[in-house]
Amino acid sequence: MTTADLLLVALGAVAVGAGVLVVSTRHIVRAGLWLVVNLLAVAGCYLVLAAELVAWVQVLLYVGAVVVLLLFAVMLTRAPIGASDDLDRPRWPGALIGGGAGLGLAALFVSGYRWSRVDLPSPGTATALGEQIFTAWVLPFEVVGVLLLAALIGAIVVSRPDIGSR
Amino acid sequence: MSLSPYIPIVGLFALGAGFALFSVAIAPFVGPRRYNRAKLDAYECGIEPTPQPIGGGRFPVKFYLTAMLFIVFDIEIIFLYPWAVSFEALGVFGFVEMVLFIITVFVAYAYVWRRGGLDWD
Amino acid sequence: MTTDIAAETLKLPSLDYAALAPMLILFGVGCVGVLVEAIAPKKARFPVQLVLAVLGIAASLTAIVLAAGTEKVTAAGAVAVDGPGLFLQGSIAVLGLVALLLISERSLERGGAFVAQAAVTANSEADRDQATRGSGATEVYPLIIFSLGGMMLFAAANDLLTMFVALEVFSLPLYLLCAMARRRRLLSQEAALKYFLLGAFASAFFLFGIALVYGYAGRVDFAGIHAAVLDSPNDIALLYIGLAMVAIGLLFKAALAPFHVWTPDVYQGAPTPVTALMAACTKVAAFGGLLRVLYVAFERSQWDYRPVLGAIAVLTMLVGAVLAVTQTDIKRLLAYSSIANAGYVLVGVLAISKAGLASSLFYLVAYGFSVLAAFGIVTLVRDADGEATHLSRWAGLGRRSPLYATLFTFLLLAFAGIPLTSGFTAKFGVFAAAIEADQTWLVIAGVITSAIIAFPYLRVVVMMWLSEPGESTPAVSLPGALTAAAVTIGAAATLLLGIVPQPLLDMTENAAHFVR
Repeated sequence: MTTADLLLVALGAVAVGAGVLVVSTRHIVRAGLWLVVNLLAVAGCYLVLAAELVAWVQVLLYVGAVVVLLLFAVMLTRAPIGASDDLDRPRWPGALIGGGAGLGLAALFVSGYRWSRVDLPSPGTATALGEQIFTAWVLPFEVVGVLLLAALIGAIVVSRPDIGSR
Repeated sequence: MSLSPYIPIVGLFALGAGFALFSVAIAPFVGPRRYNRAKLDAYECGIEPTPQPIGGGRFPVKFYLTAMLFIVFDIEIIFLYPWAVSFEALGVFGFVEMVLFIITVFVAYAYVWRRGGLDWD
Repeated sequence: MTTDIAAETLKLPSLDYAALAPMLILFGVGCVGVLVEAIAPKKARFPVQLVLAVLGIAASLTAIVLAAGTEKVTAAGAVAVDGPGLFLQGSIAVLGLVALLLISERSLERGGAFVAQAAVTANSEADRDQATRGSGATEVYPLIIFSLGGMMLFAAANDLLTMFVALEVFSLPLYLLCAMARRRRLLSQEAALKYFLLGAFASAFFLFGIALVYGYAGRVDFAGIHAAVLDSPNDIALLYIGLAMVAIGLLFKAALAPFHVWTPDVYQGAPTPVTALMAACTKVAAFGGLLRVLYVAFERSQWDYRPVLGAIAVLTMLVGAVLAVTQTDIKRLLAYSSIANAGYVLVGVLAISKAGLASSLFYLVAYGFSVLAAFGIVTLVRDADGEATHLSRWAGLGRRSPLYATLFTFLLLAFAGIPLTSGFTAKFGVFAAAIEADQTWLVIAGVITSAIIAFPYLRVVVMMWLSEPGESTPAVSLPGALTAAAVTIGAAATLLLGIVPQPLLDMTENAAHFVR
């Protein structure tokens, strides 16, 4: 095992552990904070796998912005600040389905790849990704712009009562 | 890819974490302890702390929209970065595509601004 | 596509703008529509948006007609322009245009079917006030245009990632449109939330499926997947599970059992013109994507997926037919009918042959026109509180307004597949294709469920004609020109495709060849 393998296993364990805590904690705000840990660990995995830009996007966008948005969404509701039980469904079915799906997928990957080794591709630097986005994926990229536009307009239309009247 | 370029960064992280832990751990032993009422209160940016904020603990939705506006432009900036570093290779084509992307996203901004989404009151 | 490109020899993608024009026009018009929202004064917005949207879709349709006969893969492999793709895009444009007429109707209700301030608390004083007096939202036009553009891209996407982006572009506006009904705001909001949450869940499945398929094939473009299906050294289980998860995402959008549970609630809660748009155009787009994935990318694993999808088709037809019997709300009844019809289209799709492809394309168009007209009539049966959708309110409608009761009866007979309607031609086509492909079991299930689902249709017919009109039977509102046009187009197409289906049959026959 190389250092990279060890790091990947450790980061994976952190990601899974934090993920379990996200869904099992009784404090809804703590769930959001555990999500930060989970997303950071996944960003670490990306980094070990040589996907530099994706790793930083993960940190900037998901840890930096999406989690903040999630916490904002909590503050929009009347969610209790302390521990609460009424948000939880019975645990067993959820644990069974979640655990089953996770283990099933893990088994799938183990049986799919066993001990085969794949060489790391050239690092996913900003330059490499920029060239890919603007050559092979230029149309989806432009359409993503349209998607962002539609999402923002839609969010405003359904949420701000004062805007429609203007 | 070797991870060696990241070793100094990890070192810096370790240093930062060590300093933070050290400061917290050492404070009770070396600092003076003078309690008063104000110190024991929760700190809310200088506002009088209230057990339940106005409006039953709910925040106005405009905060959320501002955050969403921020995310959309955050995504745009992130696409700007890989474009900027390979700007030379992409040339005019990349420039035109990026401008189109920016215009598309700014249309949303124009809508929010003209319809008063940025007015706070 | 994944080869390293040195910075000096960067090969810029060739974009065939003529072939991409149908989608680019719509996305451009959508952006202009948002700008109109930002700049134009309040009074001018509705007429400007309506004209802009109609012209945009017409221009897009023109571009599709001009591109007819093209067979190529463009935009660096992201988009395939071929017969089925262009046919589906054309259907989306035409059906979308008819749906747009329903959406723009403002004479039935002051301000149209959409509420301007969707965020006002449901059932509050302000909400009751705006239900009867408020102006309508005009943001729906850019949203619909974006959605139609996304559907067109979805039907033409040639790799799984482009397909995913297109899926989101056409779904997101629909989630939002569902939340904007003028009447019964709570139902509408509930519908939007359900659709959004389940849709996001289905998208996640789709995305995970893409990752697994990529893990197997090392590619996401359909030609690459096709080549890898037999040759890849990786474990075939990755391919199966990946295909299953991609299929779940697509089956959800096409409302096939057991991924149909959102359909009745969403169809009922959404504003009826939007329901019409979803039942016609979304179905076309979803099956367009499903056809391309099954026929182009995974053609060589057809022996593996056919029995599973066959079982889903049977289940869908059964669920749609049996549950339609128990419905008491006309919109829910039409929702279950649309589920059953999706099952019949899947029977055609599973023939995995040229005839299967052609008959599915025909079915989608024929059903789209009929369902648009049917929901158009639903918008007309109303009283002071909005649409009267409970079936008991439809009792005796034949006495009150014979013309609309006749039209609705005709459309129900078309759904039931009675000869001389488009429903018969369409069902005959898919069943014939399935028999040709030795899928007789699907046809048997199809015929049995057709008999079951005829029962609720006939119950509505009997109720309309043989019951006495009660106190609560509303008179049918006089439609404005736009709804009248939409209902006329839909009903006329249902009749024409039943009597002289040959031109469209020839068209689907000529179009039925995918480019790989």
